[in-house]
Parts: sequence; structure tokens; C-alpha cells
Amino acid sequence: MEEVQLIAGLRAKDRKTTEYLYDKYSRALYAVISRIVFDKDIAEEVFHDSFVKITRKIERYDESKGRLYTWMANICRNSAIDKLRSKEISQSGKTNTIDDFVYGMESQSGTQEQIDGIGVKELMIELNDDQKFIVEYIYFKGYTHSEVSEEFDIPLGTVKSRVRAAIQVLKKNVARI
Amino acid sequence: MDIQSYISSGKLELFLLGELTEREREEVLSLAMMHPEIQKELDELEETMFSFDNMTGVAPSQEVKDKIFSTLENEFILKEAPKPTAAPADTKVVPIGSPWKPFAIAASIAAIVASGAAFYYADKYQKRNDQFTALLQDQSVMADNLNQVKQEFEEADSRLDKFVAGDFKRIEMKGEGFDMQKDARVDVLWDQNAQEVFIAVNNLNDLSDDLDYQLWAIGDDGPVGIGLVNSGEKLTLQQMQAVAQAGAFAITIEPKGGSKSPTLEKLVVLGEVA
Repeated sequence: MEEVQLIAGLRAKDRKTTEYLYDKYSRALYAVISRIVFDKDIAEEVFHDSFVKITRKIERYDESKGRLYTWMANICRNSAIDKLRSKEISQSGKTNTIDDFVYGMESQSGTQEQIDGIGVKELMIELNDDQKFIVEYIYFKGYTHSEVSEEFDIPLGTVKSRVRAAIQVLKKNVARI
Repeated sequence: MDIQSYISSGKLELFLLGELTEREREEVLSLAMMHPEIQKELDELEETMFSFDNMTGVAPSQEVKDKIFSTLENEFILKEAPKPTAAPADTKVVPIGSPWKPFAIAASIAAIVASGAAFYYADKYQKRNDQFTALLQDQSVMADNLNQVKQEFEEADSRLDKFVAGDFKRIEMKGEGFDMQKDARVDVLWDQNAQEVFIAVNNLNDLSDDLDYQLWAIGDDGPVGIGLVNSGEKLTLQQMQAVAQAGAFAITIEPKGGSKSPTLEKLVVLGEVA
């Protein structure tokens, strides 16, 4: 289904289109959330709320301001960050790292999940330490680039170029797998 | 601008991560529109982020899917969607009760509602438009009035300047000595240096349409006509023609438009320069 059709269907409150959206994007969107919010139950709660929000706010989505996936991923990411910073989670003292994430996925039972998790290590293995650090803080801990810059005293421009470099590595690996 | 260095600045990645300010977002969007390379990079990066998320993620549980769809259940308008594979090539008569029916009904209702709304708003628009036009007209009338007032003010202001700066002599012309209008009175204000003459009508009878009052400056060369007097404009200053030398001023009644020399039988007022 073309993105235009998809958006039109969502705006028409069409059930089939919403199911299509779910089937195509739920995994990726849930990944955005669950790498920030590590607790499965809370992550699913955030995902539920975010997905419902997406279908309700689709009227206000402006195609000229960016593509659909980016818009949806940002809704999920922001909800996850909000949740992470709310008292509820910060008290549990959980910190997320890439290793936790990979390990967490590998430890889950069921062949489906094992297959799902196969690419993660491969995707990230070629990142150097600087890039890994950036991916960890921005992708997994929900930091903004300016927060990384301030907290770790890295110039803003350097953070930007590392974000760029890291995503370029991921881009190459994604294309290869 | 250097598109490559813009692309490699990291700004596009931050755009996708939702970390730019509104102003920076606008910048990225408008540059992407102007430069296909930027749009292409943006699309590829989004695709990468989606693939990365999709490849590294696990599917959320069936329970959360059920929960989402039960939350949304009441919000779906089209509960049964058309098959996405319906190709126009094998178009056939759609039997009643096909999955298209609710869609068609919904579409018809939407169309009716939309047309209704369109008429309603078109009417509203027309009314607003009329009001707007009327306001524009009012505004232009007011602007004209304002201009006129401004012009009058400027004239009055420049007259005032003249009176303040000039050396005006006031000559009272009275009708007492003549038969025409005993109670007539008109004042002449004369600045001999600037040669400027104003008159202020205090009391003058109205004339029939075929007659005019004419002001005369009587000097060494005899009377010289220096303009027609508007008897209707009481107590405002009327500027007359320039006079350098005069011993007296007088007003006579003349045929419409004035005469070359005064009709002395119809002398109304006279005032001598002191």
C-alpha cells in the first residue's frame, strides 16, 4: 500500500488500513519504545498508548513536514522518554545499554524472537566506541544530542557528526543484511 | 550552498530524530524541496532508521494488539474495508451486499455532508466577502475625508503661520454711509510687505445667482478688482489677490463674475487704510 493510500485510509478510520499499519510498523515502533523503556509491561503500555495516539492524531499529521514513519517513531520515542523520566521508572534505577537490549532479546524464549534478534549484533558490531556510545545514549537512553553534548562535555558539532557517522554504518549494514 | 556538506552535517539525522527546532525543521524541509539530493538522503535515512528499528525489534505481544484494537473498535467508521487487490481490469457489476456496499454508502454520505458543508461555507464566504467589500468602501470614504481634512488643516496652518509671522493690518469696511446694506461689515487683513490680502465676512446679505460681491483695492491708480467675495462664508478667511499699495478697500455688487471697474452706485462697504 502506498503511503498516500495508507494515510487516507487512516483518516477515513478504516479498520483494515489500521490493521495494515499495525502489521507493517508495530515491530519497528515497539523497538523504538522498548530499547528506551526496558520493562516489557511498561513498554507495551507505552506502545498501546502511542499507537492509539497515532490513529487519533492522524488528522493533524502534515505530510509536508516529513514522512509517516518519522512522525510515528517520534511520537513513540517521545512517549517512551516521557515514561522513562517519570517517577514510575526512574525509581527502579534501570539503565539501558545496547548489551542489555541484545541480551534481553536473546534470552527471550521462542524461535520467532530468536530469529528477530539475529541482526542486532551484526548491525552494531562495526560501530566504533564513539559511535556505539552515541547510539547507546540517543537510541537507547533517549538523550537528545544537546543533552549528550552537555553531560559528557562533547562539542555539539562532534555529537552531530558522530550521530551521522553511526547512522551511516547502520545504513550500510542494513543494506547488506 | 554546499549541498554535500549540508548533508554530512548531521542535521538530517537530527531532523528524523525530531530534535530540531521548528525553524531548523522548516529549513531542512525547504532545502529538501529545492535539492533532490537532500530529499533522497532524507528518504534513505528514514528507510535506514525504519529497517534498523524493524530488524532489531520484536513484535509486541498479541495481547497488546488485541487491546489496541478493542480500544479503537468504536472509532472505526469503516469496519469492513475493501480488498486492496481490487484491480480495475476485471471490473464487474458489484452485487448488493458486497464488501463495497458500506464503503459506497459511507462515501455517499460523506459526499452529501461535504456538499452541504461546501454550500454552507460558500454562502458564509459570500456574506463575509460582501461585508469585507462594504468595509473597504467605508474605509476609502474615510480616507478621502481624512485627506480633505488634512488639506484644510494644512491650509489653515499655513495661514496661521502667515498671521503669526506677518505684519497684518486690519481694515474694517462698513456699510453705514451707504444705502445698500447699512449693517454690512467686512474686515480686510492686509500685509503690506508680503502684499497679501484676506477678508473675513462679518455680515453681508445673500445675493441672487446673477450677481457677485467684488472687492476693490483703491490706490493711486484707481480701483483694482482683487477678487470675488463669497458672502456665504461668514467669519472665515478668504484669500484675495495680492495688493502692494492701497489707500482704501471697498466692495461693490457686480454682475456675475465681476467687472473691470466698480459700479459705484452699488457700493456696499468701504474702509480706509489708517
